[in-house]
Amino acid sequence: MEQQDRIMDGDLQTLGLQSILKMLALSGKTGKLFVHSGPETLSVGLSRGQIVALHEEGTPQLQPDLLGMLCLIHRLHLPQAQAVHEMAQGDQELILAMLVERGWMSHQEMQQRLEFAVTQSISHALRWANGRFAFHRHLVPLGSRMQPLDVDSVLLEALRQADEWEEIVKEGVTQLSRTTIARWQPEVSNDVRNLGLTQESIDVLCLCNGEIPLQAIALVLMLPEARVARIIARLLELNLVEVVDTAFETELQQDLANLMMRCQYILAPYRGSRTPEHLLPGLIKTLAECVNGLLMHHGRYARSLRGRGHLSPVEIVRYLESCFMQPLQLLAKQHYPILETANFVNGQLDCSDILTLNRVVKGEQLEEFYWEAVRGLGTFLRMVFERLLRDEVGNSHTGRHLNMAWKHFLSEIDGEVKNYQMVRAQRKVTMRGYDVTQPPSIGMVPKWNGAPQPEAWGNGTPEREGDPYWSIDTQRRSI
Amino acid sequence: MAVPTVLVVDDSPTVRKIVQMTLQREHIRVITAADGLSALTSVADNMPALILLDIQLPRMDGYHICQIIRKNLQFRQIPIIMLSGKDGLFDKMRGRLAGSTEYLTKPFDSAELVRTVKKHLVNWEERMPVQQEGMRPRQRYRG
Repeated sequence: MEQQDRIMDGDLQTLGLQSILKMLALSGKTGKLFVHSGPETLSVGLSRGQIVALHEEGTPQLQPDLLGMLCLIHRLHLPQAQAVHEMAQGDQELILAMLVERGWMSHQEMQQRLEFAVTQSISHALRWANGRFAFHRHLVPLGSRMQPLDVDSVLLEALRQADEWEEIVKEGVTQLSRTTIARWQPEVSNDVRNLGLTQESIDVLCLCNGEIPLQAIALVLMLPEARVARIIARLLELNLVEVVDTAFETELQQDLANLMMRCQYILAPYRGSRTPEHLLPGLIKTLAECVNGLLMHHGRYARSLRGRGHLSPVEIVRYLESCFMQPLQLLAKQHYPILETANFVNGQLDCSDILTLNRVVKGEQLEEFYWEAVRGLGTFLRMVFERLLRDEVGNSHTGRHLNMAWKHFLSEIDGEVKNYQMVRAQRKVTMRGYDVTQPPSIGMVPKWNGAPQPEAWGNGTPEREGDPYWSIDTQRRSI
Repeated sequence: MAVPTVLVVDDSPTVRKIVQMTLQREHIRVITAADGLSALTSVADNMPALILLDIQLPRMDGYHICQIIRKNLQFRQIPIIMLSGKDGLFDKMRGRLAGSTEYLTKPFDSAELVRTVKKHLVNWEERMPVQQEGMRPRQRYRG
């Protein structure tokens, strides 16, 4: 950018944005005005004193997905949005032009939307107290689809919107800003039309999906940001939405990601192992470590423990036990008796009794106990994660991402479980063949009368279960 | 400014997904490969700004991939961060000899991963060879 092209620059404290724009409009200037404040930058393209383009930069989350939002308010169907999305590659002006071209939006609406976006950005920039500006002539934006806008009328509307924002701040709606992201409370699943909300409120509620900032909601609904803030404040009062704390969720996501990485690392040496004595304890260690990691995580991030300041470890332990002790006991009682040996100690699941079973039993019997523990802990792990995720982030953007990563992690565990099942099945088949001629391996109780009856192996018929000489599979239960 | 692309090569779907999730939060585009050969194809097709490379991979190990990339004039400038559970001196030396830029020991912390990746993405555009128009994504990156 040539130095001589910059014909005006200065401090916003000396000359406000309103005065700069009026001055440039009155003198009919052509060029680009850059206004910087902190990380944010606004560039306004002027042609003969009229606004022809505007671009806002600074906060990554202020790059709204216009098509996605139009789908959420039922202005566009998903296939239509997908068709435009691929070609427009996020260019907002191009998206609008393509919608007009395909007859999915009127030309008038496109102009209104472009004008609203300009007004909204200028209204926001008018509130900047500190910053710098610079005007460069000869930098004219080409090919803008927006009709030139009169500076005075844009300023008038932008000032009105800025005043409205000041008013709601005075009223005490201070917790919301234009970057605030809200999302539906996890428990809200009823028909919201029964709550007597206005259409505007319902539209705002539809867009509160935990991904769209307040500014983008205002943009797509073409409502002043202050009015949207007022609606969100009301929805917060009604407990229909909650404000997403991005920093908190990043921390939460990182903590769970680190846990999954750690557990994957524990699992790695056992992957592909075809020796049950090696693989099964490895899986138990991984599952137990993962359950304990999740419990520790939930002790820090559980919704009912948040915002209560420093909590004593006893309180956290009590909370965790109240949440997970009963499901574990139920699981042990109804499906996996081996889990009775796993106890909650200081908010952690102690599986040392299971892992030291090799001191008490050996051979196939040990393998059977390990196998039951793997299945039981696997079920409990899924149960813990499901409850934890629902409580901490619900069906939010972060929640969905974490769920997907979790599924990948589970698929690795399931892969190893399937490998083991395969080895187990192969061995059983081989054993049936060997039964007549060869002695059984260690831990197998020999069949008394010798004659193999493959169709009856392990299918648990009552008379067989009572037979003390039947396979260890059926004996184990009584042990 | 365009968005940088990071290629993650690891045979574990968990590691691939977690790294992807963590870096996407930082507005970094992530592509993944599960084995050595797909990784090389992906390097040629996508020209990543950085590669996160696991050592133990099916079909071709990480050291070998690293050597191949370093021998290629077009891709030799791409920083390669080796990911491995091995933290022995010998493995680090072997990684260095193969041409890796840095070494991250598993299980790594998400924050550490982001820090390391960002450190090597500074001025990434200057290192990139000239490409055909339209190859780079148009989103914005704030490192």
